[in-house]
Amino acid sequence: MMRRRDSARDYITTVLALAVAAVFIYAGIDKIRDPLEFADSIAAFDILPATLIDLLALGLPPFEIACGLLLIAPQTRKVGALAVAIISAVFFAAVLSALARGLTLDCGCFGSGTPSRGRMWAELGLDVLLFAGALLIYLRTRVSSLAQSTLSPRRP
Amino acid sequence: MITTRRDARPIPGGLARKLVLDLLSVFAVAVASLGTGLLIDRFSSRPLPLIYQTPEERFDAELSSLIAAPPFALPPATTIGLAEFRSAVESKRALILDARSAPLFMQGHVPGAFNLARDDFAHDYRQLSGVLKPATDKPIIVYCSGGDCHDSRLVANALRTLGFNDVSVFTGGWETWSAARLPIATGTAQ
Repeated sequence: MMRRRDSARDYITTVLALAVAAVFIYAGIDKIRDPLEFADSIAAFDILPATLIDLLALGLPPFEIACGLLLIAPQTRKVGALAVAIISAVFFAAVLSALARGLTLDCGCFGSGTPSRGRMWAELGLDVLLFAGALLIYLRTRVSSLAQSTLSPRRP
Repeated sequence: MITTRRDARPIPGGLARKLVLDLLSVFAVAVASLGTGLLIDRFSSRPLPLIYQTPEERFDAELSSLIAAPPFALPPATTIGLAEFRSAVESKRALILDARSAPLFMQGHVPGAFNLARDDFAHDYRQLSGVLKPATDKPIIVYCSGGDCHDSRLVANALRTLGFNDVSVFTGGWETWSAARLPIATGTAQ
């Protein structure tokens, strides 16, 4: 009974990981095609200095794709999930700060679009979902791998 | 010795240690991603500078490559509404220019419009020289995404600096045109 419940949880974790991976790979590929547009989106947040904007615009898309790929393979899933949880929290803070400062912008999360506060609130909700999903995947995979290592035969 | 399931609960200290190791792995992935991004940019046809330039700074640089003198201050370009813009498009009495980037232009644009992207102004201007050069005294209308976009104003002012006398801006832009369910064209300009 317990084994069946565990395998159902493993199945749900895998499906969730693949869904989050698809979102991140899509978002990364979309941004990597036009880094200039993405740099403008980052600049619109008015948080980072000019010296960091282009570096983030160049580094973040490959990082998102890497997170997605790490989530696909079970062996690397926990690192991918932790990375997704961290950047989702950072995205959430950035969009929330822009909303609090009365800015209307296109976050550039999934390619370019028309700036809209409605879309910013939707992005905020998506970040919460991604963070929660990634945290769940991380805790599930990390705790089960720790349990497995504890269950494995100990050296005399 | 094999531990029982009851003994197998991970201790919090173990989890914390593993969390630190996982964070280090995330950091390593971030550094590798930045390296990959810089490498891709190195071989890109339009590499980003390491220090960010605002659209206005990039545009001034583009414009400086077309004219020897820096752009001088101009009064704001005339603006028109949807009805006047639609009439100009349908009667083909004005040259319509889309100031958005090429991918957005390809996805959909006003029929008959040419792409003179703010971001690639110098390149597009040279490409369109056959269309633009005979139109110095012809009405020209520029549009961009709509809403708060100011690419159309930048392009309109640049054209006026370059000697075009009758340039106006359709402020509603692509957003207003497509929301009104008016005809659209896709792909490159015909």
